[in-house]
Amino acid sequence: MRTARLYLRLLGAHFRSMMEYETDFLILAGATVLMQVVNVVFLSALFAKVPVLNGWTFWSVLMMFGAVALAEGVGSLFFDGMWNLAWHINRGELDYYLVRPYPVALQVSSAALGINGLSNIVTGGLMIGAGLAHSAVEWTPWRIALGVLLLISSVVIKLSINLATNAVCFWLNSPSPMFAFAMHQVGDLARFPLSIYPFALKAVLGVVLPFAFISFFPIAYLLDTGSSQWVGLLTPLVAVYCAGMAALVFRRGLRRYESAGN
Amino acid sequence: MPIVEARGLTKVFRRPDKGSGLAGSVKHLFARRYSDKVAVDHVDLSIEAGEAVAYVGPNGAGKSTTVKLLSGILVPTAGEVRIDGLHPQRDRTTVAYRIGVLFGQRTQLWWDLPVSESLAVLRDIYGVDHATYRKRLARFDEVLELGEILPVIGRKLSLGQRMRADLAAALIHGPQVVYLDEPTIGLDLAVKDRVREFFRSLRDEGVTVMLTSHDLADIEGFCRRLVIIDEGRIIFDGDLEAVKDQFARERILHVETERPVPLETLEASLPGAEIKIEETSLRYAVRFDRFAMTAGQVVTVLATLTELVDFRVDEPSIEDVIRRVYSGDLVLPR
Repeated sequence: MRTARLYLRLLGAHFRSMMEYETDFLILAGATVLMQVVNVVFLSALFAKVPVLNGWTFWSVLMMFGAVALAEGVGSLFFDGMWNLAWHINRGELDYYLVRPYPVALQVSSAALGINGLSNIVTGGLMIGAGLAHSAVEWTPWRIALGVLLLISSVVIKLSINLATNAVCFWLNSPSPMFAFAMHQVGDLARFPLSIYPFALKAVLGVVLPFAFISFFPIAYLLDTGSSQWVGLLTPLVAVYCAGMAALVFRRGLRRYESAGN
Repeated sequence: MPIVEARGLTKVFRRPDKGSGLAGSVKHLFARRYSDKVAVDHVDLSIEAGEAVAYVGPNGAGKSTTVKLLSGILVPTAGEVRIDGLHPQRDRTTVAYRIGVLFGQRTQLWWDLPVSESLAVLRDIYGVDHATYRKRLARFDEVLELGEILPVIGRKLSLGQRMRADLAAALIHGPQVVYLDEPTIGLDLAVKDRVREFFRSLRDEGVTVMLTSHDLADIEGFCRRLVIIDEGRIIFDGDLEAVKDQFARERILHVETERPVPLETLEASLPGAEIKIEETSLRYAVRFDRFAMTAGQVVTVLATLTELVDFRVDEPSIEDVIRRVYSGDLVLPR
């Protein structure tokens, strides 16, 4: 509890300073909304030709787009600092983080606040909402609770992959988050049903970097679509596993931290 | 039990061997070669609670690396560190409450926030209660005149202001052990004096302080113990006064006389001293060993020869001694 309160305190410190650069915020927010609009336009153009994709309709794929956008949005709004990790390592800026009584990974992730995440969260939420409105799911309290749990797990998986791929910089010694960014791009593939991909890609998205658990598996379970819906129920376990792995990678990496000469 | 203890502490950095220019970088992509640089080499150090230790050495000797190892920022390649019996990596959080670290070259303040806000965030991280926090701020204000810089935004601080604010930031949680790495670098004399006075007050309160500095004036009048590191190895660890007694025995008396006195007369009356005529024939410099004669004796002898207008005694600073150690003229006993 104290950890969470302090986290918001640290983020808040950056919120204040960010407000000094208002124009940046407006441009970024606008660009993010525009990106999502382009995504939706692309999707509708696609589905105008192919009404159903391996059993997935426009509305269910829209929901997957929404889930990815939402997870990304939470990542930018609350955990954007992860993307500066490579830079911090390169410049030796973790020194003071390492001598404070607060988890280093959380100090890193709270050190920036991407307000553009807000527009991703809103558009993502709208896409999920629209998808659900066009689905035939029967909402029981149990199903709602499960839906929320799956959504939280999906966000945790995205954050864990972000942290782990950024922490690879402890080994790469690169000043930019190129590796993590490349992996993030791979994650965009998870916006389409996994079933359309060849086996190798399925293995990557389902097991190696389980992006498919951010959108495909949980939504397949919720919407009762596709052949192996039960896999979606594993999402919370995958989330716990990913969070553990990310923490491990980060801790291992931290041991390699070399600071910088004065 | 010592509060800070290092045994066989070693840090080796692996550096890529790249040829010069673009060609060298490209070659490195295909044939990776590395060389090891030993930054800290089997350092043994044990500091008792309440001790004030000066840690000095030339550039690149391994001072900062030692501080980073002792505070748990770097993981040693070999050897180990204990802070109050705790392991700095395994017990990072517990150790963090007990140590304070200041890197003079680097700030921990938030760039876009006023100093007061940075300090308040740190107060919350360390969970310092409000009453204690106010008491500490009041004390920092007394010695460091912190009050006037509290409303200033981090990026707008001058170097001197920044250092004062960073000192407050490093000490806001009342640590038992404080590492100060080049805490007076780039400061003007007035601020330096104030900061040094602050160090003395810390020491007097029983805080264990390890001070790393280039500016040896920081050390004089502050630490009793001197540790000298060179090329990653400790080459001296002992009493500061003893070093001065042993290696800074020489005193120079500068004297101005009413009438010129022949050099031979002076030399005859002060055997063992070396005498030089300075700019005018009325000024002399008398160099003597302070264990062979006292400054008072020299003055008394001179006064029998002529009227003295003025005199002053120069004693060599620890700076001179350490400079000679670095340059290799002096070999200190271990």
